[in-house]
Amino acid sequence: MQRLLSLLCCLALLALGAVPGQAQQQSGPLRIEITEGVIEPLPFALPSFVAETAGAQDLADQISRVVAADLVGTGLFREIPQTAFISSLTSFASPVQFADWRAINAQALIAGAVALGSGGRLTVKFRLYDVFAGQEMGDGLQFDGTQEGWRRMAHKVADVVYSRITGEGPYFDSRVVFVAETGTKGERKKRLAIMDYDGFGASYLTDSATIVLAPRFSPTGDRVLYTSYETGFPRIYLLDVANVGRRELPIPAGEMAFSPRFSPDARTVVFSLTQGGNTDIWRMDLNGANPQRLTNAPSIETAPSFSPDGSQIVFESDRSGTQQLYIMPATGGEARRISFGQGRYGSPVWSPRGDLIAFTKQSKGRFHIGVMRLDGSEERLLTASFLDESPSWAPNGRVIMFTRETQGAGGMASLYSVDISGRNLKRVRTETGASDPAWSPLLP
Amino acid sequence: MNTGHVISGAGHIGLIGWLFFGANFAPTPEPFQVNEVAMISGAEFEAMLAGTTPPEAVTDMVLPVPPETPPPPQPAPAVSPPPAAVPAPAPSPVPSPEQPPVPPAAQPMPPSDVQDAPPQIAPPPQEQAVLAPDISDRPSPRPAPRVAPEPVATPEPDTKVDDIVQEAATPAPSPDPAQQKQEATAPEAATTEIVTEAAEKPSAAPVSSVRPRARPNRPEATETTEAVAQPQPQAEAPAPDTTRDAVQDALQQAMADAAATADAAQPAYSGPPISAGERDALRVAVQKCWNVGSLSTDALRTTVVVSVSMTEDGKPVVPSIRMRSFSGGSQASAQQAFDSARRAIIRCGTRGYDLPAEKYALWQEIEMTFNPEKMRIK
Amino acid sequence: MTLALRTAGRAALFGTMIALAACSSPSRFGADGAGFGGAGAMQPGSASDPASPLYFQQTVGDRVLFAVDQSTLDTQSRLVLDGQANWLAANPDYTAVIEGHADEQGTREYNLALGARRANAVQEYLVARGIDANRLRVVSYGKERPLELCSDEACYAKNRRAVTVLAAGLSG
Repeated sequence: MQRLLSLLCCLALLALGAVPGQAQQQSGPLRIEITEGVIEPLPFALPSFVAETAGAQDLADQISRVVAADLVGTGLFREIPQTAFISSLTSFASPVQFADWRAINAQALIAGAVALGSGGRLTVKFRLYDVFAGQEMGDGLQFDGTQEGWRRMAHKVADVVYSRITGEGPYFDSRVVFVAETGTKGERKKRLAIMDYDGFGASYLTDSATIVLAPRFSPTGDRVLYTSYETGFPRIYLLDVANVGRRELPIPAGEMAFSPRFSPDARTVVFSLTQGGNTDIWRMDLNGANPQRLTNAPSIETAPSFSPDGSQIVFESDRSGTQQLYIMPATGGEARRISFGQGRYGSPVWSPRGDLIAFTKQSKGRFHIGVMRLDGSEERLLTASFLDESPSWAPNGRVIMFTRETQGAGGMASLYSVDISGRNLKRVRTETGASDPAWSPLLP
Repeated sequence: MNTGHVISGAGHIGLIGWLFFGANFAPTPEPFQVNEVAMISGAEFEAMLAGTTPPEAVTDMVLPVPPETPPPPQPAPAVSPPPAAVPAPAPSPVPSPEQPPVPPAAQPMPPSDVQDAPPQIAPPPQEQAVLAPDISDRPSPRPAPRVAPEPVATPEPDTKVDDIVQEAATPAPSPDPAQQKQEATAPEAATTEIVTEAAEKPSAAPVSSVRPRARPNRPEATETTEAVAQPQPQAEAPAPDTTRDAVQDALQQAMADAAATADAAQPAYSGPPISAGERDALRVAVQKCWNVGSLSTDALRTTVVVSVSMTEDGKPVVPSIRMRSFSGGSQASAQQAFDSARRAIIRCGTRGYDLPAEKYALWQEIEMTFNPEKMRIK
Repeated sequence: MTLALRTAGRAALFGTMIALAACSSPSRFGADGAGFGGAGAMQPGSASDPASPLYFQQTVGDRVLFAVDQSTLDTQSRLVLDGQANWLAANPDYTAVIEGHADEQGTREYNLALGARRANAVQEYLVARGIDANRLRVVSYGKERPLELCSDEACYAKNRRAVTVLAAGLSG
């Protein structure tokens, strides 16, 4: 087309006998199209937050470090070391010397201050600057809380910065419930545990007397469904995170019940129930009312996960002969298969944004965490290892945490996270072995 | 004679005629709708000072501003007290940040007991997460500030790392030679990238995704571009968009010409038009600073058209940078897309773009379309 | 009433569950051998006593193995289960829990369901051989309790199993 156009133009030109370079006028802007760029972490400068009250400097430093760690941890940002700084920020109110920050190529600047008030009240405020534009990005914000909550306040600050720059939803102020593992592979002790998304502040929710599996957060993050063998048989329990109280769900009779998940409105639980050796998917009100069988096939149907609008359920089934992913209406009914690649697909999880399904894939003796669209298209494998499984979405749908287990008799499970671009794979810090992570929604 | 001139001139002439016949479908200048988003300060700042509080802040930001409204009394998971967020006063220059309307929301929830044991926290980032031994793709912090970190995360085979550094090294805006020189270096950097990527790829994402497939084309495009001196229209960019662009271009120019003739408002410029090579050089220069690595997946679906005025020495006038329009994404994602576009224009323009001084009239105003389609994560 | 639930080989769990539990460990497959607490002190009914759980475990055979992803019983398995059925018929005071297991090559949920299939296959076979279904319970451990720890087919083959664990059914 373009060629044709230029050809025509040339002809016209010849016909007119015009002399190029003369009588040419261009006003209006020069137009260009940029279609290629680079993908690099964005360099930011984060001078230690200013302590505005005596004795707040340590806290200010710690908060600054957590904010920086959150940002760097995304893989989307790079911190410019403070040793490179030309100017410093001694007061939150003083004007920013953008040139000094430009000179060290800081593209974003985060300036903050911390004040410790009476009664342990902590105030953290900050501003975010686009250094090259020489202006603030969004308004300054201030958070108030208690001193003990400083870590969460740091996460909140980082969340705002992250969101303003990337446009992605926040996720740092969130927690992860998981299965803490100790002991050797053959005699593994498993306990439910909860921690901040970055691995700090871990505490246990159950003891290690019985096997516990696959905890799942409620949509409000205050309760957890999980599977436990405490009666000797797998049953589903509901645990209140705040007081660690738990109760068994009154699930219909069967050899075992497992793989529970909340519906987005938190009123319904969907789970697998095994009867006569056959595993199907059921749903039920959280109080035990209205049990309803959603699948009814001699094959294995398990690992159900609701769509964010609650209207559909994605699950895995081996009805075709191998494990594959299917989507069905949340009230049951005909399921359509969405996975068609080579290999086996399991543990599907619907993205909180609704646009992707994360899954575990087994292919050629390796395990992968991957994502695909709802129709199965654009499948992308994000990881590969001896054993990766049980993906869980960050509240913003940009990051996935999962279990990676190493090979052999000394095999250990750990938590890893990966960006849905496939970049920034990293291990999440836990004190013990860990598996089956479930990411909470953003904390209130 | 430069083929670029010929073509450009030809497009002109051909389309002037067209214009006279079908002048009606003029590309109307896009309204500034988005503008207030870009410039946060003014009204909002006043509003803030006036004591109006939070809600406004939210309108211009993507993110849900943290709990300004007293968070619903949800039994917070064992954690500490949800901090109440209060917008502090706005922009930089002066205002004492202290004044922020003290939050009524400040005492929203009684601190419940906490298990964030603060003490353990001394050490910085490493704690936060341990790199996967086998697949670490994060840059380690480096002492010297560079535009481009280590080859790292970047899957782009052809990204030009170190752009700025290079520019510094190529001081004189001497016309073509410099251009070539500059471009010669770019691929080199790209090679590094490729290697890294290739090495990483297998472990990070063994099975090919949509992305990689798109890549291979790009180096070619760049190469063609390098042939610069005798620009072929095809070299400008792949695909149909370009055609459309070219048409628009020509149209726009033609119209402008007509306008110019009509009221002679602008000093008439007579001389060769911007050559395709010059245009490409500019495009490549901006590309090198266009970092989409920190954009949301939505923003990566958003194309923004950005206008900028230039000084005679080829530097962008920062306050003149505006978003003209956007497509493919939400207003919010357009903001991030615009921010990154603006950063690109400014960063790579700090020493001035290599544009022919004698044609200043032609590039005094530039409109750049940033289309991240190829950079998308999907 | 309490059902003695045993995880093959990992006795410690139910110390109270007396001798019985200790006896029925997976030594038949020469597995870990370590770890189960029953090594010492046994009853009169040693392995040579046909009415003893140890006999059931070692001589009759307390487990059957499966192919990858399968829950079908092959000829050899049927022979073992025939023996189990005879033994259970002859010793009506015992109940049993049939534990289904999978190797580690599978997702957690799927392996749970697969283990249940395997346990169920054994249960159905025993019932078909005349054992009262009420004496048999099934449970699946999926891949949670591997017997062999290596990550090779040699180990996997032994982990894909269903184990009939006798319980103190004392007049069940």
